[in-house]
Amino acid sequence: MKTVWRFLARLTGLFGKSRRDREMAAEFESHLQMHIDDNIRAGMEPERARREALMKFGGMEAAKESVRETSRMIWLETALQDLRYALRGLRLNPGFATTAILSLALGIGSSVAIYTVADNLLLRPLPYPGASELAMVWEINLRTNYVHNVVSPGNYFDWQQQNTVFENIGGFFDFHVVLGDGRRSEEVDAQAVSSEVLPLLRAQPVRGRVFTYQENAANARLALISYRVWQNWFNGDDGVIGRQVQINSRPFTVIGVLPQDFYFHVREVDIWLTLGLNPSPDLRKKQGRWLFSVARLKPGVSFKQAQAEMTGIGQRLELAYPQFDKNWGINVEPLRDSLVGQVKPSLLALLGAVILLLAVACANVANLLLARYSARRREMAVRGALGAARLRLLRQLLTESLVLGLVGGGLGIALARLAVSGLVALAPKELTRSVQVTFDVRILIIAVILSALTSVVFGLAPALIASRGNLNRALHEESHQGTGAGNRLRSWLVAGEVACSVILLAGAGLLFRTLIALQAVDPGLNSNQVLTFRVTVPSARYGEPQKRVEFFAKATEQLSQLPAVRSASAVSYLPFNGLGAGYGVEIAGRPPARPGEHLVAAIRTVLPDYFRTLGIPLKQGRDFTVADDVIATPYRFIVNETFVQQYLQGEEPLSKQIKAHMEDEDPFGEIIGVVGDVKEGTLDQAPKPTVYYIHSHLTYGQMVFVLRTAQDPLSVAESARRTIKGLDRELPVSDVRAMTTVVRQTFARQEFSAVLLASFSLAALLLAMIGLYGVLAYSVTQRTREIGVRVALGAEPWSIIRMVVVSGAHMVIAGSLAGVAAALALSGLLKSLLYGIGPRDPLTFISSPVVLIVVALVAAYLPARRAARVSPVVALRTE
Amino acid sequence: MVLKTLEAMGPLHGYGIARRIEQISGDRLSLNYGSIYPALLRLEQERAIVSEWGVSENNRKAKYYRLTAAGRRFLRQETHEWREAASIVARFLAAKESL
Repeated sequence: MKTVWRFLARLTGLFGKSRRDREMAAEFESHLQMHIDDNIRAGMEPERARREALMKFGGMEAAKESVRETSRMIWLETALQDLRYALRGLRLNPGFATTAILSLALGIGSSVAIYTVADNLLLRPLPYPGASELAMVWEINLRTNYVHNVVSPGNYFDWQQQNTVFENIGGFFDFHVVLGDGRRSEEVDAQAVSSEVLPLLRAQPVRGRVFTYQENAANARLALISYRVWQNWFNGDDGVIGRQVQINSRPFTVIGVLPQDFYFHVREVDIWLTLGLNPSPDLRKKQGRWLFSVARLKPGVSFKQAQAEMTGIGQRLELAYPQFDKNWGINVEPLRDSLVGQVKPSLLALLGAVILLLAVACANVANLLLARYSARRREMAVRGALGAARLRLLRQLLTESLVLGLVGGGLGIALARLAVSGLVALAPKELTRSVQVTFDVRILIIAVILSALTSVVFGLAPALIASRGNLNRALHEESHQGTGAGNRLRSWLVAGEVACSVILLAGAGLLFRTLIALQAVDPGLNSNQVLTFRVTVPSARYGEPQKRVEFFAKATEQLSQLPAVRSASAVSYLPFNGLGAGYGVEIAGRPPARPGEHLVAAIRTVLPDYFRTLGIPLKQGRDFTVADDVIATPYRFIVNETFVQQYLQGEEPLSKQIKAHMEDEDPFGEIIGVVGDVKEGTLDQAPKPTVYYIHSHLTYGQMVFVLRTAQDPLSVAESARRTIKGLDRELPVSDVRAMTTVVRQTFARQEFSAVLLASFSLAALLLAMIGLYGVLAYSVTQRTREIGVRVALGAEPWSIIRMVVVSGAHMVIAGSLAGVAAALALSGLLKSLLYGIGPRDPLTFISSPVVLIVVALVAAYLPARRAARVSPVVALRTE
Repeated sequence: MVLKTLEAMGPLHGYGIARRIEQISGDRLSLNYGSIYPALLRLEQERAIVSEWGVSENNRKAKYYRLTAAGRRFLRQETHEWREAASIVARFLAAKESL
């Protein structure tokens, strides 16, 4: 307590200095007067009395100084003094200050930005209480070793019954609904959840309640709404519970509002409905695998135990239902891994990259500081000679680097804030779809610590070297101010910068080669000038298949007559969108497939002209026509080339009878055409066998329109939207995108990482070059006399240039070699992002150091040219 | 010593305190009067004493220092500690003599 008071007193002692000084003088004066009075009373002469009093008091000034020192914090005052000195020094040297601060801002800004994203995705706890006990439960396709397969409802109910490891297990899926209130309508994200899901996530509604078991079983017309819908559609009305909303043109009663920050699996869900799924013995016959499942472990049960038990259950189900479950297993995965699993490798690679960039920035600033300090060695030496303690000098130098660090850090934080929003906008959807990215105080604290830490790290070595001065030598060194230690350190720093830059360049090179390879992949269609958008017709009003067929046929016809539209059609799922319904296929005349060996194909339902509109070549037979798009026609199919190769082994496909399991009744139908392959999911995957239905035989209510246009596809969007509204006022048009955007999104992950790595490596390259230039320019200045002598003795300009460039080449080559070695060791981290090349792609590993060396030569040439122009007369006179 | 003086004498100015300390020590402790002031400031910062301007017995303006409650507590504690320390030292000295 005493010390605290004292500290406060001293802190306030910093202010009102002059008043205190006056008071102290008055106190001393009165002290002396009293002493003199006493002395006179004791019989002394006034003169002697005064002298005696003064003598007894001791040194007046020393006492004052001692009181002053007690009254405030000397160290703080020196620090302020150092600070002023540092700021003045930086102002006087704006070039140095700007370069240093910008380097640091760049390094700190980018690391903080990437760290923010990584922190949000990988480190921060998910927003559910006890999130570490949450798991996603998947099926494993043992034949393809795909471990994230959605789940069969039949299996799901058996898991629910048989397991003893989960406190609860629930099923859900994500979809879209049209929300309306009679006046307006909007397509929003929705989630159908079993009654277990929200309680096991520990979701607490802010109003109302969640679904009960009975409500879910009865598939009651009840809805939970998001906070956003509550505010936007109901103005946050407290009486919202019990009100009605139209969902897909059916009335639903609102029973609860979920909190503003609640999300699960998909971030922007606005409506939660019941899953309404009940156990029934024929689920495995009637339905495929389509359900997501989430579970919470019982307290004390580990993921390993849960996995072990579920594996056992999976094996029992395999035996019990060989037709359906042969070659299927179960995967219990921590929730976080499921949500961010795919982005983790790219994020870690980026995190590594920014650390390298930060290292380069620090090395660069250390380098600049070294140059600056060695120019000030004489000043330091003189100050040392005048009695400044080494620690005092050191502290002053460190103050300067701390100022640089904090200013750079502050700028970096501002940069990071911008960068984070940019990153989130640029990032592949899968990265931000299921986890929120925010910039908060925690990040800010980390950023400040980071900048303080870096400034001490890069400031300490130069300061140590600069303050270690042999006074005599420093004062005698005329032009050779730099110490050997300083120069050696600077060369090391440059070599280190070069090495880091090579690593970054190599990483960026690998990703760019991947991008080029991906762009060169033939997607199997012509995506230029194609507009796509999705329309969902509500089953309430379009319950009859005939109505759906009519609507889509009419819409397609009207759309194709728009002025800028060449042809129009529609499909159930676009290629590349990651969704693909896969079902069993039978071929007439073949024995039924053995359990677990069904022929699986992607199934799409299309309208006539789909293939021409998307530019998918027709290889054999014919396309569907308007005459096929009638419910009464016999079943007819179009398949792709991979289907013919894999399932028909090259037999004549046309007029073969096949059957694709989609609904309860799937008659055999004739193959009338074969079309070219289109990539499925992402471009780097092989095409899958595909069967196309005509819409009249698989009448989906949700279709994606595709329009081939004569001009910029998005310019047609508005008239297309009006056409749809003209047919049915309440149908929202959503996901309006150009097909090129759809294709590009498939390699968004690689593009994102490549763009970032490229900018990091460019920044690092620039910094390394500044460092190299700085070292060489400095050494040229130092050696001006030597060079002058050489020129005077007849050295050719080119030999001077060579001398300087070679001295730089040592650092560059050493750094490049180290960089290539390190990059080779690290490139495995990028493996999952690469396509078409290996992680040790020779071209990349040869070209990146070459690029660097070429740029380095340019950086080295500038000071070398200056050296070659040194006039001997001037050089000798500089002494 | 400053605190003890203030306890015994009541509020007193710097000169008086210095004088008093010298007297009590039987002039065995001769100090520069100036050196009392940093000590006083320190005690004031620790809130053991407070100061205010007043008028001395012979009508001079002087700054008077007064013991606070915290100062008294502090004094008791210090006194106790000193006694303890002194008695331990005394025992050591005695032990040496008896050897």
